[in-house]
Amino acid sequence: MTFLLRAIVAAADAAVAADVGLRAVSGKSVAALASPWNGTTAASEAELVDHHRTIQAVFERVPCLPARFGGVFADEGAIRARLAERDGDFASQLARLGHRCELAITCAWRDKGATPPVPVVPASTGRAYLERGLERSRGERTRERRAEEIVARLLGELAVEPAFLRHRTCPRPAVAVSMSALVTRDEIDEITSRLERVGAQLPDVTIVVQGPWAPYTFAVSE
Amino acid sequence: MTREAAALDVPLVELVDRLLNRGVVLTGELTISVAGVDLIYLGLSVVLSSVDTIRRAGAEV
Repeated sequence: MTFLLRAIVAAADAAVAADVGLRAVSGKSVAALASPWNGTTAASEAELVDHHRTIQAVFERVPCLPARFGGVFADEGAIRARLAERDGDFASQLARLGHRCELAITCAWRDKGATPPVPVVPASTGRAYLERGLERSRGERTRERRAEEIVARLLGELAVEPAFLRHRTCPRPAVAVSMSALVTRDEIDEITSRLERVGAQLPDVTIVVQGPWAPYTFAVSE
Repeated sequence: MTREAAALDVPLVELVDRLLNRGVVLTGELTISVAGVDLIYLGLSVVLSSVDTIRRAGAEV
């Protein structure tokens, strides 16, 4: 029987598997939680949704390292063998993260990243073509600079330890900043309030906060 | 915030990005692919609504 990896928990918390309908494969310090998998190599929307729900169900109960979606193992022995190689690393990560959760903070451009309309008529000369490209490039640089300013505002306002923040500027046309914050549950309301305050002072973006989620961004495999 | 988020469609991408690109991996496993990512963005709105509803009710999600 094949298995889909869902999360890593401390070995002492392995019993949570029974509460959420998962199989626990225990190592020395940590345990892998997995579900039986039907063996197909392509998943659908339903499986991705189920992965998120399953991880959240685990994370409601105990600290965990969420697994990236898609890791399938031939059997429990295969999981156990791989887990043994990473036991110490995963134990360290669990200790470092504690039961902190991830908030996803997204600053979306209010104009949805609109770019100047492309003329229907093609550029009549090489110079016109180049000038259009230059104008587009200037616009992108302006947005990038503005996104950096927004990041600076957010960092100043959030007062979260730098090690617990990750961000990207302009990851997509509609998004100025995509940020992940690792916080305790006690901090969520205060952080949300601070974001609402700073959001009211930023006329060009809408700030969207999601979570608390398991710490996807802060659970790393390196 | 959540109503605005739904209108923007932005947060769906954020969650999908985390599910597919972040989190721990164990080396050596077979990686399954996900078909129809665009459709997944739409479907996840149901999950996001549920999470928000539970959180407003005071549960820890």
